[in-house]
Amino acid sequence: MAGREAVKRAVQQVRPILSVDREEARKRALNLYKAWYRQIPYIVMDYDIPMTVEQCRDKLREEFVKNRHVSDIRVIDMLVIKGQMELKESVEIWKQKGHIMRYWKESQEPKPTDFLSKFIQGVN
Amino acid sequence: MSILRQVMCRTAPSSMQICVRYASNQDVAPLDLNTALARPEEVEQRNKLSGKITVPVDVNLSPISGVPEEHVRDRRVRIHIPPKNAMQSGTDNLSKWQIEFDNRERWENPLMGWASTGDPLSNMNVQFGSKDEAITYCERNGWRWFVDGDDKPKKERVKNYGVNFSWNKRTRVSTK
Amino acid sequence: MIRAPLVKALGALSSPTHQIQIGSRAVRTTAVIAQQAPAKAPEKIEVFVDDIPVQVLPGTTVLQAAAQIGVEIPRFCYHERLAVAGNCRMCLVEVEKSPKPVAACAMPVMKGWRIKTNSDLTRKAREGVMEFLLMNHPLDCPICDQGGECDLQDQAMAFGSDRSRFTDINYTGKRAVEDKDIGPLVKTIMTRCIHCTRCVRFASEIAGVDDLGTTGRGNDMQIGTYVEKLFLTELSGNVIDLCPVGALTNKPYSFVARPWEIRKVSSIDVLDAVGSNIVVSTRTNEVLRILPRENEDVNEEWLADKSRFACDGLKRQRLVAPMVRMPNGELQAVEWEGALIAVAKALKKANGQVAGVSGQLADVESLVALKDLVNRLEGETLVTEQGFIKGAGSDVRANYLLNSTIAGLEEADAVLLVGTNPRYEAPLVNTRLRKAYVHNELQIASIGPKIDLSYQHENLGADASLIKDVCSGTHAFSKVLEGAKKPAIIIGADLLERPDGAAIHATILDYCQKLKKKDWNPFNVLQNNAAQVGALDVGYQAGVEAVIKAQPKVLFLLNADAGKLTREQLPKDCFIVYIGSHGDNGASIADAVLPGAAYTEKQAIYVNTEGRPQQTLTAVSPPGMAREDWKILRAISEVVSTPLPYDTLDELRSRLEDLGPHLTRLGELEPASLSEAGSQATISKSINGGPIDVKQKELRDYFMTDAVSRASPTMAKCISAVNKQQRQNEQAKQSVAI
Repeated sequence: MAGREAVKRAVQQVRPILSVDREEARKRALNLYKAWYRQIPYIVMDYDIPMTVEQCRDKLREEFVKNRHVSDIRVIDMLVIKGQMELKESVEIWKQKGHIMRYWKESQEPKPTDFLSKFIQGVN
Repeated sequence: MSILRQVMCRTAPSSMQICVRYASNQDVAPLDLNTALARPEEVEQRNKLSGKITVPVDVNLSPISGVPEEHVRDRRVRIHIPPKNAMQSGTDNLSKWQIEFDNRERWENPLMGWASTGDPLSNMNVQFGSKDEAITYCERNGWRWFVDGDDKPKKERVKNYGVNFSWNKRTRVSTK
Repeated sequence: MIRAPLVKALGALSSPTHQIQIGSRAVRTTAVIAQQAPAKAPEKIEVFVDDIPVQVLPGTTVLQAAAQIGVEIPRFCYHERLAVAGNCRMCLVEVEKSPKPVAACAMPVMKGWRIKTNSDLTRKAREGVMEFLLMNHPLDCPICDQGGECDLQDQAMAFGSDRSRFTDINYTGKRAVEDKDIGPLVKTIMTRCIHCTRCVRFASEIAGVDDLGTTGRGNDMQIGTYVEKLFLTELSGNVIDLCPVGALTNKPYSFVARPWEIRKVSSIDVLDAVGSNIVVSTRTNEVLRILPRENEDVNEEWLADKSRFACDGLKRQRLVAPMVRMPNGELQAVEWEGALIAVAKALKKANGQVAGVSGQLADVESLVALKDLVNRLEGETLVTEQGFIKGAGSDVRANYLLNSTIAGLEEADAVLLVGTNPRYEAPLVNTRLRKAYVHNELQIASIGPKIDLSYQHENLGADASLIKDVCSGTHAFSKVLEGAKKPAIIIGADLLERPDGAAIHATILDYCQKLKKKDWNPFNVLQNNAAQVGALDVGYQAGVEAVIKAQPKVLFLLNADAGKLTREQLPKDCFIVYIGSHGDNGASIADAVLPGAAYTEKQAIYVNTEGRPQQTLTAVSPPGMAREDWKILRAISEVVSTPLPYDTLDELRSRLEDLGPHLTRLGELEPASLSEAGSQATISKSINGGPIDVKQKELRDYFMTDAVSRASPTMAKCISAVNKQQRQNEQAKQSVAI
């Protein structure tokens, strides 16, 4: 396993996807964030969802912050591309109300996280 | 839709990827407007993009793999070589390493008697040429893994038809 | 069979003796060569398989040489672990400059041979053999249990001809053979038999039971027992695996499932202390059958019948809901919350008077969880049901392990069995001994009752004082042991439960110091349950006497089903908590019954008798409200507000690693060195108990030894079959006497 430890620190040369350095990837992520931020009022209006603009912006922030640990440039690029696609789908009204509401996972029952309730419910 | 374009345009080259081609004189190389009209920084950016960047080898793809988070966090992958079926003598499928997820509940469908499961990963059968490839794959996807068994070389044993008939050994065949 | 008597007869007739002398001299010289050969590594010779050069040892067969470069020659009769028979002819291959195709399984290679495994001649030979085999084989694959995992099917597809010349124009029908009844485990459909004789060779070589054989010649040849009787051995299930066609199939599994609809999970067997590697076949959350998995160090490729067939006990007598004993004395099913609170209340009242008893099927994880829980509640008494010598005997690991290792016993050349019957206590250790007996001229003696071990051995008697005689070097067998290159003494675990167990242990341990060789530890204890070594490794005391002495207020029974502890031995107000999978002895005396997972339902570590930790994997999920055992203990700890510091299996495993680093190095053997000191103190105690006895003397004692096998209807059928056979034998004897 010593070899594997070495791999953990090693670097490799790869083809870039969109960005060539971290700074550029950061800019792309920020741009995506801003684009979403500006579109949210229109999304709320167009889809007529029972959420305020503030709630949506909180959710937007949450979705971005969820991936803050990502450091690989290509993974950031892929996330930006995916976020871009989502935005496009939302803005063009290719989505439906339910798709937008899915960000809040209201219909999902939260799974237990502490040991005892997991034990009693018998979930892994 | 200008907003949408903005995101892509800020740093990436212009989206006007039009190649102008004159049908009349085909021997002239097609003039690429993009190259001809590009600003110096755009050219530099393009050169950078066609080159390589340096990233760590160890990369976690789980944010973009689309696998639900609970199936990344809670699953344990077993990396193993499939065992030989004791009922058969064939050994053809036993050289590849495989990954296998921890087993979740299955049940019999009360209507048809079919086997059902709620586990999307139970049928994922990926084979690898070596143990390390399998480990790398699991680490990239953020799964906890363990290696079960190793590829020890098989013990060579001497087979001899003659010992069935040796008169002073216990290997002599008693029943035929 | 003819050659030896012929030589004797010739000698007796005092016919020209020079021929015999030449013959015997020739034999002697080859024997000398064979002895010298291992001294220097024999030179490898080069042969060509399909024009690819291969370096092999002299004496390697064509088939083995081809296997080295991954060319698999089809075979039916040949099996790696059985003697070469060479009677199916499927492995015929062309060898350049040889006039006829040669049988690859029996023919040793010669230098420079060019073997063609895919030439026209080879293929034609295979097609011919296949055609003959199929001519006498019924076309009943759709109703055959072997269908889908049948060597004949596979090889007919791969190597057979696409048409047959067999036309039954006169409607005489194919060859048909009457089915034999050879017991409740193996179903025979003898018409399908292709006479590979693998079953015959297995029975006589590995199992040591010459029950199966062939009768008749040519088209009338039959495999069977000749007179109708049962194939009674503890290894009978293996002939099902060996049979390349569907002639011998699994009776309890017949018409249950097809191989393509089952899922296979690699696991470990826990019904004896060998820790055989198994594959659990499941469908829709149900264990359908258990097959052996190859592991050269443990079970080779075999599996004992109890491990293979007791799996239907996993579906019966199961505890599916927590139960609490009501004031009227009846157990009533409750929800988990209710059960946990009932246990917690009792624990609060107990004030540290808490004890734990672990049984035969407890895994290391739950043993550690129980130990941590009891210690946190300020209890000290943690014991195993199975006894061992008193005092500090279990502090040194080598004191309770099979130190020569299971695979190592194959190389032993003198073995003394003391108060053990390995044939039924650990059938796959016995096959190793038998292997050494057959191939290594092993000399075996036993101290204990006269038993049938499937090989010849000298019974020294049952008197306990014989141990002293042997160990002081005065007995005749001591000379054998002292003269041996790799001697071994195997002590049964039950023997050490006796009051003079410590003296026996110390005497033999002392003697083993003398017998010890470099890289060879002759001292062996043969445990008879899967949990024992793991429990002693994590610091449990052996024997329930400590619990009876402690008189606890709350007693945890972790899979403890042997019935060694009764209600009467405990205080009246003792609250017994049973954690386990089956409603057996333990659950019947408990005040709270918490349903646990059986060994096919959890990922858990077990340590086998040689000290090799191995893990089971989850094949199916526990039934009803049953939970993994360690999780139950973890939940109890939280309800009594002293939560154990692990929530997941990984965290528990790292706790295990703290206790004993060897416990998580799965599959690997940690060599334990023989203890030097400590034996002098107890050796003064004399061995004065009665005659040495073993619990499992006959086959009928073998089938039901734990909660799973006691719940298994197949095992019950086996016992009644053995009893029936014995009645018949007695009747036959009586009628002869009359």
